[in-house]
Amino acid sequence: MTRNVAFGQYYPTGSVIHRLDPRTKLFAGVVFIVCAFLASSYWAYLICYAFLFSVVLLSKIPPLQVLKTVKAVLAIVVVSVLINLFFYDEGTVLFSWWKIKITDGGLLYAGKMVLRIMFLVLSTSMITLTSTPTELTDGLEKIMTPLKYLRFPVHDVAIIMSIALRFIPTLMEETDKIIMAQKARGASFDHGGIVARAKAMLPILIPLFVSAFRRADELALALDARCYNATEARTKMKVLRFTWADLTAFLVLTACLTITALIYAGVIPL
Amino acid sequence: MSIVIKNLSCKYGAKTPFEKLALDGIDLTVREGESVGIIGATGSGKSTLLQHINALIKLQSGSVEVCGIDLTERKPDLKRLRKHIGMLFQYPEYQLFAETVREDVMFGPKNFGMKNEEAEDAARTAIGLVGMDWEEVKERSPLELSGGQKRRVAIAGVLAYKPDILVLDEPTAGLDPAGKKEMLDLITSLRQKTVSTVLTVSHNMDEIAAYCDRVVVLADGKKVFDTTPQELFYRDDLENFRLQKPHVVHIVELLAQKGVVLPHVLTEEALEDALLTYLRERRGK
Repeated sequence: MTRNVAFGQYYPTGSVIHRLDPRTKLFAGVVFIVCAFLASSYWAYLICYAFLFSVVLLSKIPPLQVLKTVKAVLAIVVVSVLINLFFYDEGTVLFSWWKIKITDGGLLYAGKMVLRIMFLVLSTSMITLTSTPTELTDGLEKIMTPLKYLRFPVHDVAIIMSIALRFIPTLMEETDKIIMAQKARGASFDHGGIVARAKAMLPILIPLFVSAFRRADELALALDARCYNATEARTKMKVLRFTWADLTAFLVLTACLTITALIYAGVIPL
Repeated sequence: MSIVIKNLSCKYGAKTPFEKLALDGIDLTVREGESVGIIGATGSGKSTLLQHINALIKLQSGSVEVCGIDLTERKPDLKRLRKHIGMLFQYPEYQLFAETVREDVMFGPKNFGMKNEEAEDAARTAIGLVGMDWEEVKERSPLELSGGQKRRVAIAGVLAYKPDILVLDEPTAGLDPAGKKEMLDLITSLRQKTVSTVLTVSHNMDEIAAYCDRVVVLADGKKVFDTTPQELFYRDDLENFRLQKPHVVHIVELLAQKGVVLPHVLTEEALEDALLTYLRERRGK
């Protein structure tokens, strides 16, 4: 697992941000996403980014490490920039060739698009960088608690989620091992056309599926053997506590959201 | 057909909070015909060392040369390297994938460029080497075999491409006592018949004592011992390295405390002989 530390994977530094209640961070996630879509002008983005940057500084995670998470969506960013550049035709034409026209409006719009996508990715990965999967599922479970009254199996869903998250690194490790074993038997995964490559994946996928089912079986058996009952009210080892830091975070987040919304509504002329 | 490793170091997760030095300046030479055991506590770097031999991990610092192929080169011939080495991972039965045993065992030979008939011949021979009946198993699915049989098929899958060096990671893990015995007998017979050079990683000291000529002990990524099993297992400070003694050694030492002094044997058979000789001599007096 230590071999490929995935982008956006928990990065422990023990900072103020890490110690926040996961519910606060989930709320922050929602605020960030809403902000990203509300932000209508470059000034609004400046405010959002300033806020995000201060969160990064507070979290003590190297900013470069955070920036790396954008790599995963780089292709999407590039494509959306190109589409917006070529197909947005309001404003004065800066450059035209054949059927393609690039306008100043398009340029501005494409710039906003980049800022928006990057903001979405950076802000949401700040959540996963600063909280463990367990914390997040605990937080989510707490938030969903009211749904219990609608007969929604909140705890079951939380358990399913945490098991799924728990097994991601295990299956990654397993994949690594199987790849190595097949490589040792002379398999190569980077030769030939698409069909040949897809075929080359079979020696990895089949053992991986077999072992995933085996693990699922064993886990189900182990849960059964311990009389596990997901619907029963269970106590937590780490009780979530709402602290002053959380309250502060809530206030700041609300302020950020309000400012962006006001700019969007045109109350603040930026 | 030897392995020469010089000053090999390896770091996982460099420049992250998960950074870990897995290997720290390892020097190791394995000559043709040797059987070398590598032991050490969990996380001491054994598996990482094995993976370097087959170029499954990128070389970071130091040098590795296997069967004349220098892995410090920019583009070493990996196919040729891996053809030389028969590598068996922990629980190798989990890498079986094909619909029939025949196809699974032929996977390696075909990857290394054998034609169909040639590969099938190789597969038949390999299944014979691991003591299974080709006609009986060739059309069966590897997934419906028993645990011990699956492992044999996995070993056959490695032997089929006729490697020169066998690299085994915990070959007896998860087998019952009878299965363990069979596996050790199999490795011993392979050494006499086909592959003479064997590298074994194991937690099971009895196994290492039984068929290794040389033992290398790793601790925290460093090589701390490189000596014969006799010398290593009869030391007094093994516990400092979180290592246990083989049962045979334990028995010999207990007997010595009771005044029965025997030579430093390592296998059950040798212990039996030593005891018989001892009794005969005593009766003679």
